[in-house]
Amino acid sequence: MNSIEPFNRLVKLAARAFYDDVSMKGDNQPKTSRGDNRGMAVVVLDALTRRPWVREEDLAKALKLHSKQLRRILRFFEEEKLVTRDHRKESAKNAKAHNAAAANDGQTVAKEGEEKVKMHTHSYCCLDYAQICDVVRYRIHRMKKKLKDELDSRNTIQHYICPSCNKRYSAFDALQLVSYTDEYFHCETCNGELVAEDDKLASEEMGDGDDNVRKRRREKLKDMQQRIEEQLKPLVAQLDRVKNLPAPEFGSLQTWERAHIGAFAIGDPAAADSSRNSQGQYGTPMPYLGQTKVEVDILSDGEKEGAESGKDGSELKVIPPWMIKDGMNLTKEQRGEKIESQKLEKSEAKDDKKQDLKDDQSVQEEYIKAYYEALRKKQEEEEAKNRMQQEGKISVPDSQTERQVGKKYKRDDDDDEDIEWEEHQPTAAGNATETYKLADLNAEAQESGDDEDDNVWEEG
Amino acid sequence: MFFHIVLERNMQLHPRHFGPHLRDKLVSKLIKDVEGTCSGRHGFVVAITGVEDIGKGLIREGTGYVTFPVKYQCVVFRPFKGEILEAVVTMVNKMGFFAEAGPVQIFVSNHLIPDDMEFQSGDVPNYTTSDGSVKIQKESEVRLKIIGTRVDATEIFCIGTIKDDFLGVISDPGAAV
Repeated sequence: MNSIEPFNRLVKLAARAFYDDVSMKGDNQPKTSRGDNRGMAVVVLDALTRRPWVREEDLAKALKLHSKQLRRILRFFEEEKLVTRDHRKESAKNAKAHNAAAANDGQTVAKEGEEKVKMHTHSYCCLDYAQICDVVRYRIHRMKKKLKDELDSRNTIQHYICPSCNKRYSAFDALQLVSYTDEYFHCETCNGELVAEDDKLASEEMGDGDDNVRKRRREKLKDMQQRIEEQLKPLVAQLDRVKNLPAPEFGSLQTWERAHIGAFAIGDPAAADSSRNSQGQYGTPMPYLGQTKVEVDILSDGEKEGAESGKDGSELKVIPPWMIKDGMNLTKEQRGEKIESQKLEKSEAKDDKKQDLKDDQSVQEEYIKAYYEALRKKQEEEEAKNRMQQEGKISVPDSQTERQVGKKYKRDDDDDEDIEWEEHQPTAAGNATETYKLADLNAEAQESGDDEDDNVWEEG
Repeated sequence: MFFHIVLERNMQLHPRHFGPHLRDKLVSKLIKDVEGTCSGRHGFVVAITGVEDIGKGLIREGTGYVTFPVKYQCVVFRPFKGEILEAVVTMVNKMGFFAEAGPVQIFVSNHLIPDDMEFQSGDVPNYTTSDGSVKIQKESEVRLKIIGTRVDATEIFCIGTIKDDFLGVISDPGAAV
C-alpha cells in the first residue's frame, strides 16, 4: 500500500489541476439543488484512489450520484485514459448469492442495490496508474509545447492586408502577389503594397502598431508560461517522485479478483460460498462478491447514503495508508463519537435534513456535514478537531455527497488549510487568466477536501 | 511524401494510330499527358511505372476517336502538413522567400524565418544572420517544414517554416556536418 500512496497523490493533484472545471453536459436532473456539477470529476477520481476495481453501481451509491451521471464521468475518464473499465455479464443467480452473503452479515441492502444486482451487465472501473503517469506527463508536455510554439509564432500562417482597399490575403496567395519590380507583395486589384497583418489591432494602427501588438501578445504568453510552471510545480514534482517507482498494477478485473478471492474466502465463509457457486455453475469467478460484501457490512449499520464511508472503512488494506498520509480526516474524526455529537451541536444549520437518522451511523453523516461547517471557522476549530481525531475510534472515510460539494466549494475558498494547497493559492489568486485549469486548483482541492484536511490534522 | 499508386484514365486515340503499334502509341501518349500533372487528390504525378490494364476501346461516333480506359501505376508526390522537405530557394524578397521541392512551390514568410536572420536587399537579396555565418539567397538549399498546404484541383502550394530545430540552410559548407 505504501507504494500506492505517491500515485494517489499524483492522481489527486492531476484531478485538481486538469479536471476541476469539467462539467458533464446533459445532466438529467438539473433541479437537484445544484445545477452545477463541476468538480464531480475530481470527487470521482478521489474516490477511485481509495478502491481498486469497484463496481460502478457501488461507487455511484457511495458517492450518492446517479449511476448514469457517474457513468458519464467514467466514460470521460476512460477517454482520457485515466480509468480502465471492464464490463461483464453476471447472472441473477450470482446476484442472489451476493445478496445472501450480504444478509449473512446481518445487513440490509438498499432496494436499489438489489435491483441492480439482478441486471445482467455490470461495469467495473479502476484507475490505471501506469497510464495516468504517462497521460499527465504528456498533457503537460503538450501544454508547454503549444505555448512555446505560439510564443515563437510558429506554425501560423501570415496574413496580409491591402491598406488602400482593405483586401486581405494569406500567405497561400503569395505566388500571385509577388511583384518582380520590387520586393513587396502587391494587391491584385489596386496594386497597392500589402502589409503583413499580425492582429486586428495591427491592421488598424499599421506601422509600429505591429510591433506593439506583437510585444503585448508575447508578454501575455510569457506570463502564461510562467504561471504554468508555477502552478504545475507540485504536480511535476510528484511526477518526478513517482517516475522511478513501479506503478501499482491491479491487472485486469479477472486477475485482480482471483488474487483477492483467496483472502476473502479464508476469513469469510459467505464469500467462499458465493465464489464456489459462481465457479461451479457458470465458470466465472465471483471474487467480487467478497468485496461487495465488505462494502455492505459497513452500509448495513448506517443509512444507505453512508455507503461510501462504510466501504472505505471495510477495506483493511486501504485504511492504514490513508490515515497516515493523505489523512482521511473524516475517518479519524468519525471514530470519536463524542466529537461528533459536539460538532453536531455546533453546526446545526445544515444538519437538519438528517436528524432523523441520528442512529449511530446517521450520526456519522451528520458529523461529516458538521465537520465541513466547522472548517469555515478556521483554526480554532481545527485544533479542536485535531484533538477529536486522536480520540477517534472508528474510521470512516469521507462521504461527500453531491450537495456537499457545492457547499464546500464556497467555504473552502476562504479557508485553505491544506499545506499543499497553500502553495497553490498564491498563484491562483495572482493569475488573472483562467485559460488553464490550473488556476482552479484551490477550488477543486476544497471540494474533495479530504486530502487537505488530513494534512492539517497531521500538523496539528 | 511519395506514393506508388494505381490510377485510371480514359485515353482518346486518333484513328491514325490504329495499327500494329496502337498499344505503344497509347502508352506514350499516356506518359506525355499525365506525367508532371497535378491533381489535388493525389498530388503530382512524377512518373508512370507501368500499365496494368487497357480496357476495350469505344469508338466515338462522328469523330472516329477511340476511348480506352487505361489503368496505370505511377509514383505521385504529395506534400503534407508537418512534413519536412529539402528545397531550393528560387526567390528572396522582403516578405520572405520562395523555394521549390521538385514540382512543389513553397513560400516561407519572414516571420517564419528565425528572428536572428535579417533581410538584406541589394543585388542578391538574402537573409543573413547578424554574424553572417548563415545566408539564405537564391539557389540556397534549405530544409523546411510544411505548416500549411493549399490544394487546388490542379495546383498545390505550401507554406513552410524554417523556424524550428534542425531547419534552415543545408548547403552552406560552414553549417554542414
